[in-house]
Amino acid sequence: MTTVAVPGRVTLSDVSHGRAGFADQVRSEWTKLRSVRSTWICLVVVFLAGIGLSALVTNVEAGRWATLGFVDRAQFDPVRFSQTGEFLSQFVVGVLGALIVTSEYGTGSIRTTLSTTSHRTTVLLAKLTVLGAVVFVVSEVTAFASFFVGQLVLLWHGGKALPAGSSIIDQVHSATIPVVGITDGGALRAVFLSGVYLLLLTLLACGLGFILRHTAGAISAFVGILLVLPLIVQILPSSLSSSFERYLPSNLGLAMIFVTSRKTDFAGVLLAPWAAAGLLALYAAATVALAAFLLVRRDA
Amino acid sequence: MRMVMGLDRPDAGTVTIDGKRFGELRWPLREVGALLEAKALHPGRTAVDHLWALAQTNSIPKARIAEVLELVGLESVARRRVGKYSLGMSQRLGIASALLGDPGVLLFDEPVNGLDPEGILWVRTLLQGLAADGRTVFVSSHLMSEMALTATDLVVIGRGRLIAQTSVADFIDSNTEASVLVRSPDADGLADALCRAGAAVVAGDDGGLLVTGLDAARIGDLAFGAGVAVHELRQVQASLEEVFMEMTSDMVDYHGHTPAEVGS
Repeated sequence: MTTVAVPGRVTLSDVSHGRAGFADQVRSEWTKLRSVRSTWICLVVVFLAGIGLSALVTNVEAGRWATLGFVDRAQFDPVRFSQTGEFLSQFVVGVLGALIVTSEYGTGSIRTTLSTTSHRTTVLLAKLTVLGAVVFVVSEVTAFASFFVGQLVLLWHGGKALPAGSSIIDQVHSATIPVVGITDGGALRAVFLSGVYLLLLTLLACGLGFILRHTAGAISAFVGILLVLPLIVQILPSSLSSSFERYLPSNLGLAMIFVTSRKTDFAGVLLAPWAAAGLLALYAAATVALAAFLLVRRDA
Repeated sequence: MRMVMGLDRPDAGTVTIDGKRFGELRWPLREVGALLEAKALHPGRTAVDHLWALAQTNSIPKARIAEVLELVGLESVARRRVGKYSLGMSQRLGIASALLGDPGVLLFDEPVNGLDPEGILWVRTLLQGLAADGRTVFVSSHLMSEMALTATDLVVIGRGRLIAQTSVADFIDSNTEASVLVRSPDADGLADALCRAGAAVVAGDDGGLLVTGLDAARIGDLAFGAGVAVHELRQVQASLEEVFMEMTSDMVDYHGHTPAEVGS
């Protein structure tokens, strides 16, 4: 029972060659990510919520087409309806992003992780890379699947694609529900950026995790930014709120996925889609930079 | 230990391993292995996945995992989630993690916590085996009796300050006055003779005499000269625990009291 053979059958390469690097850390993070159940639960929820809400919301909106007035018909946005699941998914990827960091702080295993590398920022970058890649793939697959499910629901309601070159006026006067093809103006961009939105929020949440180091704290902050911040901005004097509104992360997300409704006044308060994506990327980068700064400075 | 592992920043000074600061190590896991907190594990992950994730960070081959699992005796539960592990099993997994990179320097914080007597014996043998291999094994523990059995060199720290750094034997020798226990049917007569020879004699509860200031041979000679029969005569060695208590008595942060003391 108590034989001690300090094993040496498996020989490790000489420690004087090479060094533990980013690729090693990435492989390790992938093993950690795939070996806990919460990852798979979150990703399945993202996919199902995306498709489910797309079908549900598109179905409801399609049912109301006949009774809609001019303004509502002008704002009828088949792409946006198909991406409604994003509203739910943004919180799921936020939880995932925070958990990949805070679960290690909660158990203390972050100290084991940090003692595998002589550069702490490698750990942060590896986590962002692995989770970012996984979330990006799942989000894009979900965004495109949701788009097609949404258009199928519209077709099922008797929808038809408007002739090429149709204006918003044609849509308002159309007798049938408009259906959008993926190659129609702006659709591809909107669906693609829908996945990008979730990716950027994931990175932001990951950064919050490193900054706050507690699951409840990081998730509260994340939800606060998406849900509470807009409420606070709304109670500001309208001159202030209307100039701040467009820069809120949640409104950047809307700006990224608007297509038809961009052509109406309703969307006038929002930034252009790529500008919105750029600004959100800037928010995420700033959060991650602060996270890296604190990770290197603080005791683990 | 956390400063050694580069986790906490010292207020002053540096810690080096083989002359290198932690941040300068090329393959940290292969140069220094540490067990700091046994329960610092994601409860949902299996032991195999935990070790594999660790191994990958330092390009350690997968075959090494089976090897360390066998060494710590966890092969049969390796695919179970570690959240279901007892403290003793987590401790074994922590030891496996520390040994994963086959490092020359090992740090163990309270390695026998939660282990059964068989496990404690195993850790003792393992640590001594690792040291006999030529590795540096640094263990922190509050279990003095355990340290007396395992350690060769001792570092005593109280309130963040170094109290002593020496070998276990020297530590005990230099901090206790050698005393001799002697037992005789004529205890009073013997005590008399010894006191006259300049020794300090304390009578024990069981009729024995604890003598300091004379060695065993001299006591035997004096007893012979005084015509007193001697039934027992032996050198008394203070335990590491006793010496430790004596040295650190005025340096502990929290003092416990007996119920009687609390009542008065």
